[in-house]
Amino acid sequence: MNVPTEHFLLLAAVLFCTGVLGFLVRRNVIVVLASVELILNAANLTFLAASRHHTALGEANLHGPIFALFVILVAAAEAAVGLALVIALYRLKQSVRLDAASELKG
Amino acid sequence: MAELLFYVLAAGTVAAGVGVIACRNPLFSVLSLLGAFFCLATIYLLAGFPFLAATQLLVYAGAIMVLFLFVIMLLNLGDEEQYAERPPFGKRGLAIAGASAGVLLLIAVFSVGFGSVSASDGDSPAVTSFPDESIDDVQSIAELLFSRYMLPFEASSLLLLATMIAVILLAKRQRGSGAEGAGWPWKKGVEQ
Repeated sequence: MNVPTEHFLLLAAVLFCTGVLGFLVRRNVIVVLASVELILNAANLTFLAASRHHTALGEANLHGPIFALFVILVAAAEAAVGLALVIALYRLKQSVRLDAASELKG
Repeated sequence: MAELLFYVLAAGTVAAGVGVIACRNPLFSVLSLLGAFFCLATIYLLAGFPFLAATQLLVYAGAIMVLFLFVIMLLNLGDEEQYAERPPFGKRGLAIAGASAGVLLLIAVFSVGFGSVSASDGDSPAVTSFPDESIDDVQSIAELLFSRYMLPFEASSLLLLATMIAVILLAKRQRGSGAEGAGWPWKKGVEQ
């Protein structure tokens, strides 16, 4: 497949910006967590595109896939802790909206 | 053929990503996220990373997605939440957030360029053809993981253990708690 590396990077950039926008404008905690997953997937795509580029240049490169593996692992841990926090927030507030938790606002 | 499939999948990924942040119902958001994961896994497969594609499907589409759907259905979200949702800062804040994300995207596009990475930059030759065989063979990954990346590997096992303990502690309903939200160990005697 002869897709140039820039197109991978552009797809990753679009995904990242979509995730950032969702992280900023949504109030639902679950959608915010889903946006974080989008951001992490964009980072993974960038790692893999760089690894593929270096392999095409002739130097076999496996650091990209290994970093992507670690990113997936951290994303799994983050989703588990985040969703446990969602459950705790819902138990406290009967809501999953971010503006329901404003005790630290002062 | 594979190139065409890549662009179709890229469009599908972007559409699913927009669907994640645009759907009012969180259930549809999460299902759209599932579509994005599937498109990305197929892109990994096309790009020569079958092991990463399998991992993506197993961990993301398998475990994380089940976790999201489980929480949505456990909390019975849907009706009141989707009507209560408004943009958090009003129209002006929405415009500012959109503009900053757009500027971020423009910076990314212009710094990547449209042919500057693959083109020859003097000391490295230009990339004209990408390998068709898979890049991430499992044996090499395992050898690297158990030699050079030994410390991060062990640290990640510690991270998973700590995550497990934290999640159990956070999501556990304390014994003897009558009312909802009561029974937090650090909220004993604190007026709510």
